[in-house]
Amino acid sequence: MAAPLVLVVLAAVTVRAALYRSSLAAFIAERVEVASPLNAWKRVVEGLALLDLGVSPYSGAIFHETPLIIYLFHFLIEYAELVFMITDVLTAVALYLAIQDFNKVVFKKQKLLIELDKYAPDVAELIQTPMEMHYIPLKVALFYLLNPYTVMSCVAKSTCAINNSVIAFFILATIKGSAFLSAVFLALATYQSLYPLTLFAPALLYLLQRQFIPVKLKSKSFWLYTMQYASLYLCSLVVIICLSFFLLNSWDFIPSVYGFILSVPDLTPNIGLFWYFFAEMFEHFSLFFVCVFQINVFFYTIPLAIKLKEHPVFFLFVQLAIISIFKSYPTVGDVALYMAFLPVWSHLYRFLRNIFILSCVLIFCSFLFPVLWHLWIYAGSANSNFYYAITLTFNIGQILLISDYFYAFLRREYYLTHGLHLTRQDGTEAMLVLK
Amino acid sequence: VCTSRFWFNYRHVANTLSVYRSVKRLGIPDSHIVLMLADDMACNPRNPKPATVFSHKNMELNVYGDDVEVDYRSYEVTVENFLRVLTGRIPPSTPRSKRLLSDDRSNILIYMTGHGGNGFLKFQDSEEITNVELADAFEQMWQKRRYNELLFIIDTCQGASMYERFYSPNIMALASSQVGEDSLSHQPDLGIGVHLMDRYTFYVLEFLEEIHPASQTNMNDLFQVCPKSLCVSTPGHRTDLFQRDPQNVLITDFFGSVRKVEITAETLSLDRDVPGLESKLPEEELATEPLKYAEQLPVAQIIHQKPKQKDWHPPGGFILGLWALIIMVFFKTYGIKHMKHVF
Repeated sequence: MAAPLVLVVLAAVTVRAALYRSSLAAFIAERVEVASPLNAWKRVVEGLALLDLGVSPYSGAIFHETPLIIYLFHFLIEYAELVFMITDVLTAVALYLAIQDFNKVVFKKQKLLIELDKYAPDVAELIQTPMEMHYIPLKVALFYLLNPYTVMSCVAKSTCAINNSVIAFFILATIKGSAFLSAVFLALATYQSLYPLTLFAPALLYLLQRQFIPVKLKSKSFWLYTMQYASLYLCSLVVIICLSFFLLNSWDFIPSVYGFILSVPDLTPNIGLFWYFFAEMFEHFSLFFVCVFQINVFFYTIPLAIKLKEHPVFFLFVQLAIISIFKSYPTVGDVALYMAFLPVWSHLYRFLRNIFILSCVLIFCSFLFPVLWHLWIYAGSANSNFYYAITLTFNIGQILLISDYFYAFLRREYYLTHGLHLTRQDGTEAMLVLK
Repeated sequence: VCTSRFWFNYRHVANTLSVYRSVKRLGIPDSHIVLMLADDMACNPRNPKPATVFSHKNMELNVYGDDVEVDYRSYEVTVENFLRVLTGRIPPSTPRSKRLLSDDRSNILIYMTGHGGNGFLKFQDSEEITNVELADAFEQMWQKRRYNELLFIIDTCQGASMYERFYSPNIMALASSQVGEDSLSHQPDLGIGVHLMDRYTFYVLEFLEEIHPASQTNMNDLFQVCPKSLCVSTPGHRTDLFQRDPQNVLITDFFGSVRKVEITAETLSLDRDVPGLESKLPEEELATEPLKYAEQLPVAQIIHQKPKQKDWHPPGGFILGLWALIIMVFFKTYGIKHMKHVF
């Protein structure tokens, strides 16, 4: 498997290098869908330039990166393109290894459940075989590296690539089962952008499953392990934040990074839902609605945890998608990360109901974004409503995609335990409906 | 005063700036100049050479640069502000650079350019000043003893109508064209795409270039500048209100700041304590060579690059802490037994 992966990596690096040298690089770098105020490269350069002039980069409202990024790019700023290409490659390799391990876990579990006779007799066609799953890790790496969203993010040198990379390493560490590393990477991911906090729940569930600790609220071992993991996570987070204090000897970065993410002061249009609402809102409502919108991101964790506690990796995927849809400054790089996981659930294809129309919606909206931006900003014949409409449609497409996969997953699980041909009480054929 | 804005009125700004430069060259400092411009040429998005205003075709002379001090810019150039400057009725918060701090020994030169008509001058495309208002303003200045002698030059269409109504003493006026005539512009520059100068001002400047602080050229020569053959319009002048004969009025009386210096041959002992010390004879300062337009810094030198400084380095404690943590994490996951192999 190594050789095709190397080939894919080479192809991806070539595409990115070619784009860096072309004139498209400047055009892509300034697109709002790719570069948000949180992760634009221009702002990183600006912050570092301010630092060279002796001013704290957090003093204005320009720079919203964490001190570790300052440290990283202080030395690597001349090699920025290489750094971003290597980051993408590392992400893809991490995802590849993670999914490889995950496949092994899936097989083991499947074998266990078959031996325990938990599956209905006629579900042979639903069971995943090694043959069809052989290429999934490669497909995941392919999906991530050659996704136009990722390529654009890389060419724009948006630090979203670094966020994705940290999350990918976190996923790798979790699936390999190392609680310590997983806690460390999760702390790093949370430190970078606040939202991976919600990934704590799926990671915990996965690690519990791996340790064969059942998730019961009364179980002592459950709470013990949870406490261990939580304390590892919190300690590493605290250590990283304190370390960042020593970079500039000030706590300025906390309001600049986390305050900025949570209070959303910058209303530059992006592919998310926040900017339009808050541009139209009265001042005295904005605090309330900011709280509502932010709670919306964190809100789905607990219900999903209850529903998907047997399937933590799928929960992870759904949670990642929810983060990238509902976060305050999403970019297409975030979308690319969860889209990389779609091959893992390619066996759900037969249960997906709207996949054609949703993929059309997503592709179409991606093409319409620059068109309507041009019409709004340059031609002046449209206004922000047009662009927001496309944003809304894109997000609706994403949400429907996720809920479609969710439905398909649950349906397959139901069929596995209850058999493919469902019958009602009186023997006629029944249909499964998601309520 | 340049009373126009917008890119196609480039030449008015270039006119005003060229006269400004001549006047500065001949010795009048910025504190004695009130410059009113729309100032939208140098940074105009249509300017192919940003940060420059050229007054000669082939872009030989950049009259904008580092030392142009505009006192009233953009929307501050209004009739009200202009009249307030002249008459001195300014709010107390106005800075000194925006005031005309003249007294009854000052000679004032007023140069106005823009679009005009019979009896009026258009300000910034939105209002006008009439010749009656101007004449009344000058009368106020006379009554408040704000000038000794005043030279009024105007380069607009039908400019002579603006000085018809003056009635205060000691005013001399020149205009680029008579009533019913239009003042025309000089050559266009194909690189920039607009006309760079007006004819009358162009020839006045050619004339002024020969003036240096010590020259004895008088007003009559200025009246001869730009005959109809070159200018197409007929320049006019008015000297009836002026008490001196124009023949005796030096150009440098208005355009330059020339100090009257007397040479004395007797020694003056200034210090009683040192009787043996002879003071040097004060010498008359002569400009040794006239400064030419062409001797200025090219724009490329003016816009210089700052060298890249990398003064900030992350503190040592931070780097140490970070790498210690990374190494700790590494060894925690992969086991201590590897340390044997590392060391």
